[in-house]
Amino acid sequence: MGLHDWSLIIFTILGQMSVGVFLILGIVHTVAVRRHPVEEVERLTDRALFAIGPVLILGFIASLGHLGSPVNAYLSLLNVAESWLSREILFGTLFAAAGALFALMQWRKIGSFAVRRIVALVAATLGIAFVVAMALIYMLPLQPAWNLWVTPLTFIVTSLLTGALAIGVAFVASYAYERKREGADHAALASLLHDALRGLVTAAVILVGIQLVAVSLHVAVLSAGETTAAVDSAAALTGDYGVVFALRLTLAFVGAAIFGFLIYRSTIWATSQRTIGTLVGGAFGLVLVSEVLGRYLFYAASVPITI
Amino acid sequence: MSDQQMAFYIDLAACSGCKACQIACKDKNDLDVGNMWRRVVEYVGGDWTRSGDAWVSTVYAYSVTVSCLHCQDAPCAEACPSAAIVKRDDGVVLIEEDRCIGCRYCEWACPYGALQFDDATGKMTKCDFCADYLADGKEPACVASCPMRAMDYGPLDELRDRYGDLAAVAPLPDPSISRPAVVFGPHPDSRALGSTSGRIGNLEEV
Repeated sequence: MGLHDWSLIIFTILGQMSVGVFLILGIVHTVAVRRHPVEEVERLTDRALFAIGPVLILGFIASLGHLGSPVNAYLSLLNVAESWLSREILFGTLFAAAGALFALMQWRKIGSFAVRRIVALVAATLGIAFVVAMALIYMLPLQPAWNLWVTPLTFIVTSLLTGALAIGVAFVASYAYERKREGADHAALASLLHDALRGLVTAAVILVGIQLVAVSLHVAVLSAGETTAAVDSAAALTGDYGVVFALRLTLAFVGAAIFGFLIYRSTIWATSQRTIGTLVGGAFGLVLVSEVLGRYLFYAASVPITI
Repeated sequence: MSDQQMAFYIDLAACSGCKACQIACKDKNDLDVGNMWRRVVEYVGGDWTRSGDAWVSTVYAYSVTVSCLHCQDAPCAEACPSAAIVKRDDGVVLIEEDRCIGCRYCEWACPYGALQFDDATGKMTKCDFCADYLADGKEPACVASCPMRAMDYGPLDELRDRYGDLAAVAPLPDPSISRPAVVFGPHPDSRALGSTSGRIGNLEEV
């Protein structure tokens, strides 16, 4: 496991998280504007939206660390006709461009609500294509641990799970910032944050459930695989990397389910801001570490069919 | 340049596992430690079994020399994001180094471990079928070096007419993945594709 693999772990996680934040932010926005005024909703959502750009760019910079000749990175679009890696870079770049356009329109309130909605939908579609292309890169017949439906499924779940909890952190930070501003009305914002956090942790609990089931089934399917490479991959997960594997599952459960439950039970009015901040930050941190470990295992415990 | 797919022939029965081909390749291409465009895999298996008062040996071993097999459906070329891996009219698969970005995706896609990363240049490298020798009408270095005369090369169709169409033995991967340009002559002990009766005896070497 060289340094260049860590750059892939960082790139894939940050790329997926960016897409997840964008998608879930869209859902939160759509649901929230039905019950709350648009201006209030966007006081929370806009800052989270603007945070996506830097995260995605950081991911792309990390991906350069994987390349032996990073100065040639611009050539990676030459084989869009055949290579999923080219397509990943293409969709990733288009998602970044459409997302940036939407963020700019949202920031300056350019265009009508409906027009911005359409731009956001285009960006969201490109984001999904980005994550799917990323998964299809790994669906190689020689890599039995990757060449399964589990790869696209877990990539999508990772996007949404890290995305949901990252939004929680951004909302809590936005709320704390807004409270410090004089003359603003916090009651409406507090009720909005309360609803949003409840929705986000509910989503996180469901998603972590899907993730845990998928990860367990993955080991079961590989263990019963036809090739020795498949069986060896399963054995590596539960054997050599058994401790990391167990830690990954535990952290995901504690972060999303236990912290999620505590967040669900607390209220913005009754619980101190500091406690809420710790819980939301803790949930995100634990799940992020779990996902990084999971991605580490994805690369480290894949035994290829080769000689 | 011919427009027929070039291929290697390996006579497994004649091969003594001496690894002269591997060394000739390293020498010709001036490969650094860690890079081996041609590797000799030793497949070993069998046991001693008791039959009455006697112990009978079923122990066997044979060597399979493998390089880039210049596949007809080269998965490396399909994977390469910068279209730096090209298949010539004569089927030889080459890396155009100027375009290589060193992402190593071809390495994951290759069934034979033929694509190897060069730390010094940050690019991928592989067997080029001694393209310069071919252009001069000379044999590839590995073929020329074999003291057992176990190797041959030429258009795939001609090799098949002469030697048959065995494209894999254990422990090689399924040839249907990439349709490698290779013909093997069987060894009396060679095990069929997919067999798990033996194991690679020199794993740390290949």
